[in-house]
Amino acid sequence: MSEEMTTELSEGTTQRDRYMTFKSGNEYFAIGIEYINEIIPFQRITVIPETENYIKGLINLRGKIIPVVDVALRFNQPPLEYNDRTCIIVIDVKSTVVGLIVERIAEVVTIEEEDILPPPSIGRSNKVQNKYVYGIGKTGDSVKLLLDLDKFLHDEETGITEQADSFAELEE
Amino acid sequence: MAEEFNTEDMLDMYLLENGQLLEKLQETVLEQKDAECFDEDAINEIFRTMHTIKGSSGIMMFDNVTKIAHKLEDIFYYLRESKPDNVPHLELVSHVLDVADFITAEMDKIRDGNDPDGDPTELIDAMDVFLKQIKHEITKVEKELPPENVYVAPNQFYIAPVATSGSRFYQIVITYKSDTQMSNIRAYTAVYALKESAEDIIYFPEDIISNEASSDLILKYGFRMLLQAQLSEEEVRKIIDTSSEIESIDIREVAAEGFFNSDFLKPIELDTAVPAKEEKEEKAEESKPEEKQGKDIAPGDYVIQSKEPGKAKQLNKNKQPKASKQSFINVNVEKMDQLMDLIGELVIAEAVVLQNPDLKVPGLELQNFQKAAGQLTKISTDLQDVIMSMRMMPLTTTFQKMNRIVFDASRKLGKDIDLEVVGENTEVDKNIIEHISDPLMHLIRNAVDHGIEMPEERLAAGKAKKGKVTLSAKNEGGKVWITVQDDGFGMDRTKILKKAKKNGLLGSKNPETMTDREVYQFITYPGFSTNETVTEFSGRGVGMDVVVKNIQTIGGTLDIDSVPGSGSTMTMKIPLTLAIIDGIVMETADSFFVVETGIVKQFVSVKEDMMIHEPGGEEYVMIRGECYPVIRLGRYLSLSDQDTSVEDGMMVILEMEEKTVCLLVDNLIGEQEIVVKPIPKYIKKVKGLSGCTQLGDGSIALILDPAGLIG
Repeated sequence: MSEEMTTELSEGTTQRDRYMTFKSGNEYFAIGIEYINEIIPFQRITVIPETENYIKGLINLRGKIIPVVDVALRFNQPPLEYNDRTCIIVIDVKSTVVGLIVERIAEVVTIEEEDILPPPSIGRSNKVQNKYVYGIGKTGDSVKLLLDLDKFLHDEETGITEQADSFAELEE
Repeated sequence: MAEEFNTEDMLDMYLLENGQLLEKLQETVLEQKDAECFDEDAINEIFRTMHTIKGSSGIMMFDNVTKIAHKLEDIFYYLRESKPDNVPHLELVSHVLDVADFITAEMDKIRDGNDPDGDPTELIDAMDVFLKQIKHEITKVEKELPPENVYVAPNQFYIAPVATSGSRFYQIVITYKSDTQMSNIRAYTAVYALKESAEDIIYFPEDIISNEASSDLILKYGFRMLLQAQLSEEEVRKIIDTSSEIESIDIREVAAEGFFNSDFLKPIELDTAVPAKEEKEEKAEESKPEEKQGKDIAPGDYVIQSKEPGKAKQLNKNKQPKASKQSFINVNVEKMDQLMDLIGELVIAEAVVLQNPDLKVPGLELQNFQKAAGQLTKISTDLQDVIMSMRMMPLTTTFQKMNRIVFDASRKLGKDIDLEVVGENTEVDKNIIEHISDPLMHLIRNAVDHGIEMPEERLAAGKAKKGKVTLSAKNEGGKVWITVQDDGFGMDRTKILKKAKKNGLLGSKNPETMTDREVYQFITYPGFSTNETVTEFSGRGVGMDVVVKNIQTIGGTLDIDSVPGSGSTMTMKIPLTLAIIDGIVMETADSFFVVETGIVKQFVSVKEDMMIHEPGGEEYVMIRGECYPVIRLGRYLSLSDQDTSVEDGMMVILEMEEKTVCLLVDNLIGEQEIVVKPIPKYIKKVKGLSGCTQLGDGSIALILDPAGLIG
């Protein structure tokens, strides 16, 4: 019993600060590694008619049927050309299993808690909420936008591009 | 509590067992609700049920449940012992049902992890009054009053009373039925119950709580206790006898000397010595209690234990035969669902193997493979049938609940109504049963409230005073038909039309030309209720549309029929199962779709000149003199921009609820068994789709929802 607990704990610590990063548009985004089930190569997607444009359809993951979301479309970025190197990140957020199609998977990084800054409020208007990004992680010279997956999956409106743009401005 | 043990298991057991008891109780009560009074069996059963619930609730420390069960037990104790006449039966019935409701509500709270905090005082007071009333009746005819069934609220702390000269010593053996689950917990129940009044108590096996294996020992040899207490034998028996799982209780009073040195507890360890020793003890001591009962048994006569006099015997008599009970086990529904899923995947995997493209090499001889494949297919089909039949449950329980609803509603409305139930043994998939309970309840309430007239009106209309609602179920054409029929005044066409007009539902339709069925269909629209006054039971107008929606979600339909003056009939037609259906697979715009085989009327290849194009963009097709509306699936689902020519595609004629449409698809693939999977919740409900499935090659097909397409 106690042994189990310690292993769980240590797993927790090893996973806590680890993030998977991927590129979408000009930005690098990061997802907490504990949400990631696996990464699978691109496969045939069955189109679901009449849904939001970023929901590309369904895939068959070893008998489980899961929806896939195109991250670029979700962020209102120009659509991607899918090719052999396109990957699907399978995430599990509160038992909702979804595949994310991303332009390019980058790397797994460690971001310490003290290196995570709250997203700066955006000067132009206070009304712009920080929708999908709950923090900005610094790794070395670069900055990753930490994705709030719950909002990413379930919030209706978008507005991330605007946000990403202003982050880009900030960076410069 | 002093000992630590897993209360969760106990709680599950408590909920399960008492739930079943209450269900049985309601059934018994409702069976005899129209009788003059309860017969002896029923009184005994209700008494026992309450006794058991009281006991187990006491252990779990649900005080309010304990109290109310105790009060009802009091009443039935009195009924059983004094057999009073002139008991207001209907009042009694409603007391029993109120108590059952109260306990059920408390158990629901417990199940949801809340505290059972309902206040039983009111009910208890009402029952007190009732009890006094019937007792008063009895004193008038001067019968002897039985002693009051006194109940002492359990203390929550155990302080062993000190031994006094009044102490008596008992050897107790409790035998549980051989199929009892967790007999160790039950044994602990007995110990716990005795602790309050015991001066000392020793038992074997000692580790009943910490060691689950002890339950086997208990089942095999019985649970043995040495008890020192100031109680009579009868009192001890009463304290212990709280569980229906007890087969017999053997209590012997022994001398104080050497009581705790007695080897009474030990024989259990010496396997072979046990029976002989027990027999000897029995022979030696049986004569004593027997004499008390005034029976003429000579000392030394062999007395079979089960012939033991008193309550235990009575208990056994009324039990169902053990054999039938043993052949059932309770299985967690989740495990069943898991098994169902796995079998579904097995069926798919089998198709993947058997239709593997690697096998399709020209000239390949696969005789042995085909033989083996045939065998595999047979087994997996059988497996499917078995799991399906395992999930099938009779509608009995669902129908019984309706009995209660009719009873309650008719009494409150002052109507006299009989519920006739036909074909309650019809079996339906468990998932479906869960879905039909609510709609059925609505339909029954509607029938009772709107359908059946008040007694005076019925007499005036030349009908029997007693209204009748018939609830029936039958299998027909791969579906289950559940019909609710009443002999009330039926539906008023003009009234419905008036209301429909007022609510703006008529649209461009001409009320004169509408068929009766079309008119009745209006009552399924949201917010539609012709009842002028809202009652507790119906009339709020939220009923029928929800009913129809619920039925449609499980792929069923609702037919409404009515003969003015002589009643209405509502027929639910629901599929037997949701999990695996026969489907036609077809292709449109590079996507696969499946439609349930049952609603496909025919496939037709049509020529361009059979099409009729309306200026508004609507299309019709003339097939053998009949004109059908056309849905181009690709365009309907916005999958393809340009229409394929009708001559390249295939028309699938779908018929449902007397509506017919032609579905234009690109290609037909074939018919096969489809394992229905839900569309992941993340995707919002899509119009016209009801689920998805995996085809033999691993690709996904979407299941079309005919109600969505046609409606």
